[in-house]
Amino acid sequence: MSTKGDILLRSLVKRYGEVVAVDGIDLEVPPGEFFTMLGPSGCGKTTTLRLIAGFERPDEGEILLDGVDMSRTPPHKRNVNTVFQSYALFPHKTVEDNVGFGLRYKKVSKAEAARRVGEAMELVRLSGLGHRKPGQLSGGQQQRVALARALVLEPPVLLLDEPLGALDARLRVDLQVELKRIQETLGITFIYVTHDQDEALTMSDRVAVMRDGHIEQCGPPQELYEEPRTAFVANFLGASNLVPVSVARNGGPGANLTLGAFTLQADECPDELQGEALAMIRPERVRLEAHGATGENRMPGMVEEVVYLGFHQDVRVRLATGALVRADVPNDGDAVEYAQGDAVSVHLPPRYLRVLAGDASATDSDPTAAEAEPA
Amino acid sequence: MSDTTLLERGIGAAPDRRPRRRFQLRDPWGHPRGLALVTWIYILWSLVPVLLAIRFAFNQGRSRSAAQGWSLRWFTQDPNLSVLHDPTLSSALQQSLTLAFFAMLIATPLGVGLALGLQRWRGPGSGTANVTTLLPLVTPELVFAVGLFLLFTTAFKTIGLGTTAQIIGHVTFSLSFVVVIVRGRLATIGSDVEEAAADLGAPPWDVVRRVLVPLLLPAIAASLLIVFALSIDDFVVSQYLASGADTTTVPMRIYAQARAAPTPALNALATIMLTITLLALGLAYLVFKFMTRGEGGGSAIGGLAGIEAGIDAGGSR
Repeated sequence: MSTKGDILLRSLVKRYGEVVAVDGIDLEVPPGEFFTMLGPSGCGKTTTLRLIAGFERPDEGEILLDGVDMSRTPPHKRNVNTVFQSYALFPHKTVEDNVGFGLRYKKVSKAEAARRVGEAMELVRLSGLGHRKPGQLSGGQQQRVALARALVLEPPVLLLDEPLGALDARLRVDLQVELKRIQETLGITFIYVTHDQDEALTMSDRVAVMRDGHIEQCGPPQELYEEPRTAFVANFLGASNLVPVSVARNGGPGANLTLGAFTLQADECPDELQGEALAMIRPERVRLEAHGATGENRMPGMVEEVVYLGFHQDVRVRLATGALVRADVPNDGDAVEYAQGDAVSVHLPPRYLRVLAGDASATDSDPTAAEAEPA
Repeated sequence: MSDTTLLERGIGAAPDRRPRRRFQLRDPWGHPRGLALVTWIYILWSLVPVLLAIRFAFNQGRSRSAAQGWSLRWFTQDPNLSVLHDPTLSSALQQSLTLAFFAMLIATPLGVGLALGLQRWRGPGSGTANVTTLLPLVTPELVFAVGLFLLFTTAFKTIGLGTTAQIIGHVTFSLSFVVVIVRGRLATIGSDVEEAAADLGAPPWDVVRRVLVPLLLPAIAASLLIVFALSIDDFVVSQYLASGADTTTVPMRIYAQARAAPTPALNALATIMLTITLLALGLAYLVFKFMTRGEGGGSAIGGLAGIEAGIDAGGSR
């Protein structure tokens, strides 16, 4: 791992007139990390990236690269490079000239430049296409040229702005694997912006979920998925059931959650939560049992809909209290034993129940809303 | 049983359908013949006068309305009255070409600079500036010419009327066309290639030199030729800012002589002008197409729309 490529953002603010695009972001990305900023459009992730690249001037705050503030340095003097969503290749130059564009400013000999261009092309598996024009390449190949053009300069930090956004689903998966391979080979810091949760989960060492110009939660993918701190994070990363409950402490680390006439146990509950809150559980951890099954954390309900989704089936159960709970049943070859209109017992195991602060914008009763991909 | 029912239904339905079909003029998916016909009538109507004028340029006799054989008499052969040998006609041609040449060389770089500036300038006043730049496109040329005339006879008396004033006039009104063409191209190019160049370490001047200018070349070439075509066509501004016989342009000469003692030499002159204008526009189109080849799909459309706007506006002048 290289020791260069440490990015530090200190209370970074960017406003466009009345709109605050980036609202006081503090963030440290250590050298060699694959760091992802994830969020819906308008959350400030791209603006943050453009601030680091130098295309925008911050209104407040500092951007430090390896301890040196570069927030007032113009983009061509910053030691970071960017891969654009639109690729931004130079259409009048050949692939080779595109890749070699930045080397002119690196004071390297012609032979050295040619060698580095060759290496970069090899790294992104484009050898042999050097004399084509970008217009003659496919979208995936153009993306590789954009990557090679930035990597050839050996920047300590590479910024990627939704680089896979314009590609089709299969190609995206292939390139995800490849990006991760390149990042691990070179050991440079990647700061990656996306609205695609799969990309974020697959490649990142750490993910920051952003919302309205600030970081909602930041941590390794597993931590974000398993222990979301807000309903927004729970909904944006994966699907989740969110049920409004009222919280009563039980003396230990957990709590009793009251839901209409029923009481649920949760093994863990943040100390500060009292009164109205949201109970969160992932659909794949909801258990469906035969009607009449009793025991703790079981509630009666009626199957409202069974949706076939290929690798799993989505069973939507209306609880007696009126809340809708989604259960993910893996498609193991056997037909789901419940059909529309069946009475069932829903088991919400205490160790999988999380208690989150109530959040008006995330309590939409329809738990499927989280699956809709944000534009 | 079911067969007969179907048959009956079919028979019963037929009389219903037939009258409806009568109101249907034609197959809605077919070739729009009516539209094609109207279009061709229009094209013929607008071309006939031009073709007639060209026909009499090659007349053997002196008439401009009766066909009297074919010759090149009015172009080169007549020792006194042909375009080649009548000093007033050849000097007019020379003046027209001089004006067009200088207008082209001055308006294009100015217009490119203006387009770049307007494209980037965001803030109070930029909207007004945008509209003002395009104002000459819609200002009646007469108003524009009278204004310039007053300017050169009062405030800028040192320049005065004459060739310089005519060039300045032509540059002023053709600038808007350059701005439209170049901005169309700039919008196609987008700001991200500039950002990418800066990101890769290119200082601002290098961004212009290595990325922007090469990508703008088609628009620059188109602008040069459009300005040339606009200038060589112009009558009103040239007329108002002329200072005497030696600043008479071809359109002015044709207008003046048509009322005095017209000969087919005027037609010959007009034919030469038409040929030059068409060549300039055709060349602009070809150069633009050639230079944007290999760019994906609609990227050339912005610039072409600019050229076509120029052709339309040039034609209406």
